[in-house]
Parts: sequence; structure tokens; C-alpha cells
Amino acid sequence: MSGLTRRALCASALASLAGASLAGAAGTARAGEPSAVRVAAIDWAMLETALAIGAEVVAAAELRLYRQMVVEPAASPAIADLGLRGSLNYEALLRAAPDLILSAPWYVKYEANLSRIAPVRSFRIDQRGRSPYEPAVAAARELGRLTGREAAAENLILAVAAEIDAQRERLARRRGESFSIINIGDPRHFRVFGADSMHGHVLDRLGLRNAWAGQTRYSAQAPVDLVALANAGDAGIIIVRPIPSDALRVLPESPLWNALPAVAQGRVHVIDPVNPFGGLPTARRLARLLGGALA
Amino acid sequence: MTTAAFSSRGRLLAVCLILAALSVGLFGWSLAEAFSADGAIAAMDPSGRFPALVALHSLAPRYVVGLLAGAALGLAGALLQSVLRNTLADPSSLGVAAGAHLAIVAMTAFAPELGGFPREGVAFAGGLMAVLIVLGLSWRRSFEPATVVVAGMMVGLLCASLAATIILYSGQYLTSLFLWGGGSLAQQNWTPAIDLAVRFVPAFAISMLFLRSLSLLTLDDPGARALGLSVAGTRLAILALAVALSAAVVSQVGVIGFVGLAAPNLARLMGARTARPVLLLSPLLGALMLSVTDGIVQAIDRASRFDMPTGAVTALFAGPVLLWLSSRLRTARPDLRAEGVTEASRRRLWPAVLGGLAIVTALALLVGRSEGTIGFDSLSTMATLLPWRAPRLVAAMAGGAMLATAGCLLQRMTSNPLASPEVLGVSSSAILAMAICVFAAPAMGLAGQITGATLGAMLGFAVLIVAARRGAFEGNRMLLGGVALGSFCGAALTVLMTRGGMEAGMILAWLTGATAHVDPVIAGVTAILALLLILPALVLSRWLDLLALGNEMPAALGLAMTRARLVLLALAALLTGAASLTLGPVSFVGLMAPHIARHVGAADARSLLATSAALGALLMGVADLASRLAFYPYQMPIGLFASLIGTPYLLYMLARR
Repeated sequence: MSGLTRRALCASALASLAGASLAGAAGTARAGEPSAVRVAAIDWAMLETALAIGAEVVAAAELRLYRQMVVEPAASPAIADLGLRGSLNYEALLRAAPDLILSAPWYVKYEANLSRIAPVRSFRIDQRGRSPYEPAVAAARELGRLTGREAAAENLILAVAAEIDAQRERLARRRGESFSIINIGDPRHFRVFGADSMHGHVLDRLGLRNAWAGQTRYSAQAPVDLVALANAGDAGIIIVRPIPSDALRVLPESPLWNALPAVAQGRVHVIDPVNPFGGLPTARRLARLLGGALA
Repeated sequence: MTTAAFSSRGRLLAVCLILAALSVGLFGWSLAEAFSADGAIAAMDPSGRFPALVALHSLAPRYVVGLLAGAALGLAGALLQSVLRNTLADPSSLGVAAGAHLAIVAMTAFAPELGGFPREGVAFAGGLMAVLIVLGLSWRRSFEPATVVVAGMMVGLLCASLAATIILYSGQYLTSLFLWGGGSLAQQNWTPAIDLAVRFVPAFAISMLFLRSLSLLTLDDPGARALGLSVAGTRLAILALAVALSAAVVSQVGVIGFVGLAAPNLARLMGARTARPVLLLSPLLGALMLSVTDGIVQAIDRASRFDMPTGAVTALFAGPVLLWLSSRLRTARPDLRAEGVTEASRRRLWPAVLGGLAIVTALALLVGRSEGTIGFDSLSTMATLLPWRAPRLVAAMAGGAMLATAGCLLQRMTSNPLASPEVLGVSSSAILAMAICVFAAPAMGLAGQITGATLGAMLGFAVLIVAARRGAFEGNRMLLGGVALGSFCGAALTVLMTRGGMEAGMILAWLTGATAHVDPVIAGVTAILALLLILPALVLSRWLDLLALGNEMPAALGLAMTRARLVLLALAALLTGAASLTLGPVSFVGLMAPHIARHVGAADARSLLATSAALGALLMGVADLASRLAFYPYQMPIGLFASLIGTPYLLYMLARR
């Protein structure tokens, strides 16, 4: 036990020592806020939250895909890419010399290794069977405390709630309408966002109904076939991009797809990509995109 | 007509009728469910228009696609089996399906705009490439059945691992590629059904034209040639036909295992002896088997509301059937050739190997990359990075040495130059157990997952031993037992993976190896395991020399054959399991290193083992360095990197000798 802690201590001392020199060489130290906490994010939900509260993000995982799938808040090119979330590049992380690493329960098995570099905080936002919104609020608040940006975190929480309320007003005439919100996998399979996803929660908060809310058998994202969409009956359909090219080609020719009430009556809406496992900024983006698509 | 013939015909009729009744009955059930008043569809659609549409555009085409895909696979299996005179051959055991799948995954990821018809062409090219590699690998063993299947398993694993890497690197939205890799039959229009029919009918007609050639091919080659058959040309034509059939199935519905293997064997089991009845019956039986399985899968889907891929479910049966079939194979005569080597070349060997090891170690520890430039790191950077680079290098090298030793043991004791640790199925069962842990207890840490994987490896090992024991640990029976275990675990893994989400991503990362996350403790454990397991192999090397003498000699020299084989197999399985925990399931190092060792001059078992182990470490050291630098900061899976370097070399070497 004591051996372990001693080793961890030595390692982190060594890491921070050499890390300081590395960071100095990289020229990322700024004059304005000398004591800003340098944050590295493994999990995207925490990455977007950290960016949204203006924390000093020095490294994050899989930025190439983040820029396509999560889009906002934009990740500046100065942030070091840590490679795949499943195969983190610890060397790049060491070079970025973070003071704090933001993780999620998915990555629990990397935590021992990550904590050799800097203290790790893991945030559980998505969990089967409950809405991720309140956990996302708590995570933003906690992150604000950890990075000394409490005010920015409170502002974010208020701003997101305000954005949702504004879009709710905008969609007032649609109140009570129900929608299925889906991702298209291929022409035959879809992922449906249930009540325990951020998508489901935001639909709810906008005064709309998630057609899949009652069906707890579908967890956050379950692959279902097209016929199951018919189960949602009259509900409108919201497709979250990206749409695979073969689906774009095949679906318009499919008699079954065209027979879905939503398709037949032209109630299919397409919105830009949204992080499927997001935090507060995702909720804001969703509310804005849905407002724009449905108003 | 004799009574025996009559009873076999009667039995055939009974089996077909039962299967047909089941098939139609299950289809009827799914229709009834769609129209039933309290069913989900009706409840959601008060207008009542939808059930008819679902029946017409989803259920009916799905049933027809099931029949056609099954028939096509049955025919492809029958063609492959008679062309190769190999009852174990089918599109999945020859790597055709995996190659076609890989080609489509690559196309979807890199050139999605191609779409449409070329997709099938791409699948055909991928499948053909895979089968040609498999046949190239088994060429020198004159396509002996077990060797072909072992080579097919390896090429299949390589393709699957490459496909997993592409899916992993191109992001989550390709998650559906799993579903499709698992062979989901769900339909929503008639296009796939029509496309399959348009391909199956002419293919069936063409294979009927080949009937005489196929009958002749059941003779030996000189006999067939004497009767006026151009053996090589005919083989290639029939092979291409079979690949085209399975490429059509793969591009329409994905990878569907087992049917092509089972249908022709079932036909033979029920008394079909010559090419004609086998060719006629296989498509029929294939169609019935797949449609019955799909009917059952649909019934389960309706109850559980979870879309399971039919192809992966059928593939679950492939393992057991393969095992059973392999017990009916005639034993192949062990290869007695001993490659003579001069003493002189051996003396110069060790300095070169050790020097290479030292250079690779130094490079792997000292060279880094940041912002695009590759070079030696500064001293202060090195101090930070060494505690990270050293463990993963140690783990990679120890793993490489273990796999090489295991490969060496297997190749020697089975007298099969293609025997590789990957085909033992031990690593597949380790990964499956780990995947079950990830889904069942997501909060489990690395230690828990490794414990789970270790338990899985041990369970797989126990199954392997039981299977191999029934064949008295005879070389090919052992390998085929491993292939059977591996294909079962692979299918189960596919079923799990289709659930998608973050868990699937985590498992994918494991599938491609986990050297990135090695910490000093894991590295230390791996190194100690390597020492503990490689040393006994060196001590037992005399057994290997004796086993290479064939079946009678060692017994005469006082060696208890069965026990010796059990001990050596146990050692090989332990080595493989320990290595796969860090390196991932595929690397080919265990296959390559012994060949290179022989090539550079190691002759007796002990020096062969030692040289292989050193070369295995060397190869993995190179792979570690290259996988770290090639796409910085994105890291290539190390095992895959090793196999991409190794496969061309292996083909070259096998072709040359």
C-alpha cells in the first residue's frame, strides 16, 4: 500500500518537474493568469464543458472526430490531440503537462495510469435510466470549482437554461407534439435516443414529447430496425447528422420509409451533428438546432 | 432400389419437410404478429395501413432474402468443398466473408461516395484476395484440409482486426457496420431480394454446367487430368464462382457464418454421395437452415425488442459443427521433412540477433515525435517519457517472445508450418470474457478486466484441452479444436458488439491491443510470466525433437506421447493467453518468428525456441516503435502493425521454399 503511494508520488513529482520544463518549451504559459489550472479532457462531455466555461484546456482526446461530431464549443488548434479515446497517447499527455485530467466512468481502467500524470476527476453524466441533465449541471459546477471559474460555470448553467427557455417559447405552437429523435446507421438500422439521453431530456424541456419516452426497454441509444420506427405512430422524425450516403440513396426509394406517417406528411427534420453523450453545451446546441429546425 | 437407399432417401425427405414446415411456420408467426390486434405495430397505427406494408416490404422480403442467402451460401460451400476436397471449407472458414467485409468497411470509411453497385465489386475483390492469400499460404501443403482452414482462420482474424481498426479510427457513426458485419437480415424493400435472386439463379445454372468437372475433381488430380480436365483452370473458375456468390451475400446482408459449412455436410450426412445430389441439396438445406434460424431470431427479437444479427447467431453454431467434422477427418500424415542447416551459419546468428535487439530497444526508448518531427528526445524530456516508454516496450517485447515461443512449440508438435498461437482460440476466449465484463460491470477497473480475461483464457484452454484430448492431441485435431473455439468466441463477441455505444468502442480498443495502457506493474508481470513460461519450454525442447520423428519412434524411445503433448499444449496456451492480454488477439509474430529463426539457421528445437523468442521480442520492439510514431498522436494497434509487416514476408517465404 505505502509502496504504491510512494511510487505514485515519485512519479507525479517527476512528471510535474519535467512537465514544467516541457510546457515552458512549448510556450503555452501565459502572462495574464499564471495560476490557471491546466486541464486535459479524455471525455468529450467534460471537454465541451471545460471549453464553455473558458478553462485552460491543454489537451483532449480524439479532437479530429470531436470537430466533426461535437463541433461546438470549437476546440482551438493549440489544444494537443491525445489520439483515440480507446488508445490514449500518454506521451502527448505528458508533453501537455496538465494539472487536472477530466475523465468518465467509461475510462475507469485508465485511471490508475492517468493519475501517474495528474489528479484525475471522473464525472458520471450518462447513466442508463436517468436524465443526464442534472448530472451535467453538477459536473459543470464542480468543474468550475476545480478550475477556479465558479462564476463562469454558474453563467453557463444559467445561459443553457435561458437558451432552452427561449427555444421553448419559440416552439410554443408545437407544444405537446411528439418526435422520435434518431441517428441513421445504415438504411436498415437506426439509433433511437430514449428518455435517458440528453436528446430526450431537451425534447422534453422544449415542451415536446419524446415518442420513445415511455419505452424504457430502449436505453440511451439502441439499434432498432426501421419497422420499430412505425411503433412511434404519428410522431415526427428528427434525424441527427451525419447520414451515411447509402441511406441517403436507399431511404427515399423505400416504400416502408415513405409510408411512415412522418415521412408521408413531410414531418422529417434534419439537424447537424450533436454529441450523443454530451454535457451542458450539448444541451444548448440541441435546443438551438431543434428550435431552428422546428420553428 | 435397396432398403438402405430408400431409408436414406426417406430420412432426407423427412428432414427437409420438417425444416420447411418450421421455416414456413415461423414466417407465418411473424406475419400473424404484425397483423395481430394487440401487437405493437397495430397499437401505434390506428389507421391499420401499416401492418400490410410491413408484411409486404419488410417481413416478406426478409423471408425471401433468408432463403436466397442461405441457398447461395449452401451452394458456395458445396462448390468450395468439392473444389478443395475439403469438408471444412466454406466462405467463412476460407476468409472469403471476412475479406469481403473488410473491403466494404474500408470503402465505407474511405470512399463512401462510391456507393451502389461497386460495393459488390469491392466485396468480390476483397473476398477473392483473401481466398487467394489463404490458398497461397497452404499451397506447399497441397491444400490439405486442416492447413487450409488454419490459414483461413488467420486471414479472417487479420481482416476482422483491420476492419475493427478502421471502424475505431473513423468514429462511432459507423457502429452500424457491426450490425452489418454480424449479418442482419432486416429488410425494408425488395431490392436485396431481387439482387440476390438475379445472382443465385445463373450461378446455380453455371455450377450445374460444371457438374462433370466437379465429379472428376473428386478423383485425384492426375486422374482428373487423364480424363481430359484442365484441373487448375477449372478449380480457379469454380473458386471464383463461389467467391462471387458469397460476395453477393456479404454485400447485401453482411457476414453470415456456418450455413455454407453445414449445408453440404448435412447433405452428405443424409446420404448424398456424388457431386450432383450434394450440389442440388446444399442450396435447399442452406435456404431452410438460414430461414429457420432467422425465424427464431425474429421471435426472440419480438420478445426482447433487441435487434440481433442473424449471421452472428448462425455463426455461433459453426464452432461446434467444425469440431465435430474435424473428428471425422482422416488423419494427415505428419510432415517429416527436417530442414538441414549447417553449423557454420548458426555461429554468426546470435551476435546478429542480440545486436538487433539492442538497437531496437535503444531506438524504441529514445526516439519520439512531437508536432510532426521525429527524432531523439532531449534529456529532460527523456526523463519524463522513459517511465512510460519502458513499460510498454517491455510488455511488447515479452509478449512477442511468448507468442514466438508458443508458435514454435505448436509448429513443432503439430508438424504444421502454419500453426500459429492465434488459432488456438485462447486469446479469443480471453477477449470474449473481457467483453462480457465490460458490459456486465462497466465500473470494473483494468485489474478486474484482466482478471476476467485471464479466467476466460483458462476456460477456453480447458475447452481446447477437452477437445484435443479426444483426438489424443494429434496435431491437426488440436489446431481445428482451436479454430472451432475461436470462431465460436468471435461470433459471440459480434453479438455483444452490435449493442454499440461506448462499451463497444472500449472492446474494439482491446481487440486491437492494449499496449498503450501498460503500466509498470503490468509490464513487470508480463516480463516475469515470459521468463517463467519460456524457460520450461527450453527445458522441454528434447520432447519436441522426439515428437518431430513421427508417431512410433518417440514412443519407442520412451516418451509418453499423450502426456508430452498435453504439457506442451498447456504451455503454448498459457504463453498465448499471457501475451494476448497486452498485445491483442492478432499479431502473426508467433507464426513469423519461428520461420525466420529457421531461415537464419536455427535447427534443433532448443536453438529454434531461443532464436524464435529473441526474434519475437525484436519484431514486437519494431512494431511498438512504428505504431507509436507512424500516425502520432494517433497510435496504430501494435499487433496489427506487426501482422501488416509480417504477412507479405510470410507469403514470400512460404512461396519460396
